[in-house]
Amino acid sequence: MKPVKRLIDKLRALVTYRMRALILKEFRQILRDKRLAMSLILPPTLQLLVFGFALNATVSNLKLGIVDDSRTPESRELIANMTQSGSFQNGGTFFSINDMSKKIASGKLDGGLVIPYDYARDLQRGTPVTVQVLLNAMNSNTATIGQGYAQGVIASYNQTLAAGGLHAKFQQIASSDVSHRGAVLLDPAYLYNPGLESTWFVVTGILGVLLILNGSLISAAAIVKEREAGTLEQLLMSPASTTQIIVAKLFPLFALLCMMGLMAIGIMRIVFGIPFRGNVFLVMAAAALCLLCGIGIGTFIATFTKSARQAQLTLFFVNPPLTSLSGAFTPVEAMPKWLQPAAQFNPIQHFGMISRGAMLKGSGIETLWPNFLVLLAFTLVLVSLSIWRFRKQLS
Amino acid sequence: MRRIIAQAKKELTQLVRDRLAVALALLLPVVLLLLQTTAISLTVKDLPIIVQNLDQSEASRDLVDRFRQSLSFHVVSWPADRQPDEAFTANKARGALIIPEEFGRQIARGENATVQMLVDASDENTAQIIAGDSAQIVRAYNLENVGASHPQPVIAAIRLWYNPSRSSQRFYGPGIYVLAMSLFPPLLATLAMSKEGEQKTILQVYVSNISAHEFLLGKIAAFMIVALTESAVMMGILFLGFGLRFAGDPTPFLVATLFYVFCVTTFGNMLGAAIPSQVAAMQAVALTGFLLVYMLSGLLFPIENIPAGIRWISNFVWGRYYIVVVRDALLSGGGWPSVGFDVLAIAAIGSFFYMIAWRNLRRMQLKD
Repeated sequence: MKPVKRLIDKLRALVTYRMRALILKEFRQILRDKRLAMSLILPPTLQLLVFGFALNATVSNLKLGIVDDSRTPESRELIANMTQSGSFQNGGTFFSINDMSKKIASGKLDGGLVIPYDYARDLQRGTPVTVQVLLNAMNSNTATIGQGYAQGVIASYNQTLAAGGLHAKFQQIASSDVSHRGAVLLDPAYLYNPGLESTWFVVTGILGVLLILNGSLISAAAIVKEREAGTLEQLLMSPASTTQIIVAKLFPLFALLCMMGLMAIGIMRIVFGIPFRGNVFLVMAAAALCLLCGIGIGTFIATFTKSARQAQLTLFFVNPPLTSLSGAFTPVEAMPKWLQPAAQFNPIQHFGMISRGAMLKGSGIETLWPNFLVLLAFTLVLVSLSIWRFRKQLS
Repeated sequence: MRRIIAQAKKELTQLVRDRLAVALALLLPVVLLLLQTTAISLTVKDLPIIVQNLDQSEASRDLVDRFRQSLSFHVVSWPADRQPDEAFTANKARGALIIPEEFGRQIARGENATVQMLVDASDENTAQIIAGDSAQIVRAYNLENVGASHPQPVIAAIRLWYNPSRSSQRFYGPGIYVLAMSLFPPLLATLAMSKEGEQKTILQVYVSNISAHEFLLGKIAAFMIVALTESAVMMGILFLGFGLRFAGDPTPFLVATLFYVFCVTTFGNMLGAAIPSQVAAMQAVALTGFLLVYMLSGLLFPIENIPAGIRWISNFVWGRYYIVVVRDALLSGGGWPSVGFDVLAIAAIGSFFYMIAWRNLRRMQLKD
């Protein structure tokens, strides 16, 4: 029991009148600095909104140019099927493929549909006929999804053809077959996000980026400021211990950043309508850990730099790589295999797992504990590293 | 003219002395380009799926084999007595193929049999790709097994133009290049300009006989040289590292690059002249330059997907026009007829920035 008692004594010594005075001073200093106070609110809100609204990879209404050499009711039926689907829209009719391909090259069209002159004749005869679908594959994602759409539209069109109507010939062929086997139908079911809202993925990931980004920027700015102004020496001359100075320095930052995090979570709920299927306290706990990671990074860098300018420039070397390897905007599975393990060394990635799990899938601590453990480890390492550096500087 | 050159020389000397800034100017764009171009992609491959085959007939095993063979998926094992969505919450799988009992018998009887694909749609884009890929696998299976009884009247021959291998590096590489060009040159320019205001060396400029135009042009020229170097280095990486080539006439690209470099360095100088604090000016550039260009220029995600309420902003975002020119030069090769307007738009926005920067400095006196 002795070590526990000693620890409690130590903690009690920490929370003294002196400590409270120091914390109050930091709070006042931060709030008086209008720019710092503003940067607690404005950039995170703006970033969350713009990121959430603009980072949208949804592929819909692809503009399809049409070259119809057949000009028959059958070909117009196919065109209607293609362009009424919501995946594609009619981008204009062309007389030659050359005219159309120029439009595709200039980006005015996303693709084209070419129907051969013998389309209707072949259909009536019961011969399979090939139509050409051109897609601008510059954006590989659009091409991948557009390809799936086109196949899907044609497949369902084929089913209506085989079912009779205009082209009874195909039904005859189908029923005359002796070795009759059934076909497999695939029925996809989208769990957790049946409306396929693309913002849900991005916004839940961005939160982690915001916490680390703003946590590191603001804490670096606050700590460097004291040094730039030369008031650090005054603090050292005061009777407060170094631990008290550090804790008093970091605690108000953490408290204010937590409020920013809460605000961001509120925006997610109200503006983007993210469902909170799991325990929202899990997300908050993870967010607090993430903030501490950010503060750790910011403080650590601040101890190496002499001016706010230098600290900010140095953060440019840390934050963008951290963000791009985080899986916040794009799935980690889309990275090359050899790079994927790097994401495991990123607090943002683990926060993303927790926030997506708890908000969208309703996972509880029983499945998310490995991510929490890793996040906790990152926090402990980063915070103790920065406190160690800070202390070394103070003494 | 002599004064402009002298001013530019002074800027470059000052820049070279600041090692951190030099690293930011030359090292960071390269690192980011390599890292982001390799890491950013939406086209997922080799996703983990689980299979719950409740039928265990020859037909069902054949279908499962098709999924096993595809490059889009790999099958991970999952105990049959646990719910498939537990695999999703534990992040062990992204999809689950469920083949019902009696599947084989139904097929053999000539009835259509339905199999279910559960998809973890918390990532919407990946979910669509999983659904599309699995539909293709099933289609291929049907074509081979029941092709004779279910003829396909219409066959879609899909051709992917400009990027047939669907390499996302070819799409994102140019985008990251534009992003780096929109962020780092104005950052350096704004640092140098706001420093004059912060350290009051701007007073020395005011009392010298240099005119506002000369002062501004000197600064812009210096950072244009830096930016053009960055551009050359990054294009070298795109060409050598990611195998991109000019698809057509490179002159629109060269002209547009010159204009764009002017545009972004002027933007940096404009903000630097308006905000006489290095940290604040830097934040302003990072926030506007980065956020606007990254989000609203169609670099990564299509502009059409931005809600109409804020989409109009993208018409004023300089990066939007440059990305069109760069992609055209490297991928589709439409040349002047298709990108002439965009080149002019870059020049127009650049001149606008220059005008504002000049208005701020023209009196060559401290503000009251």
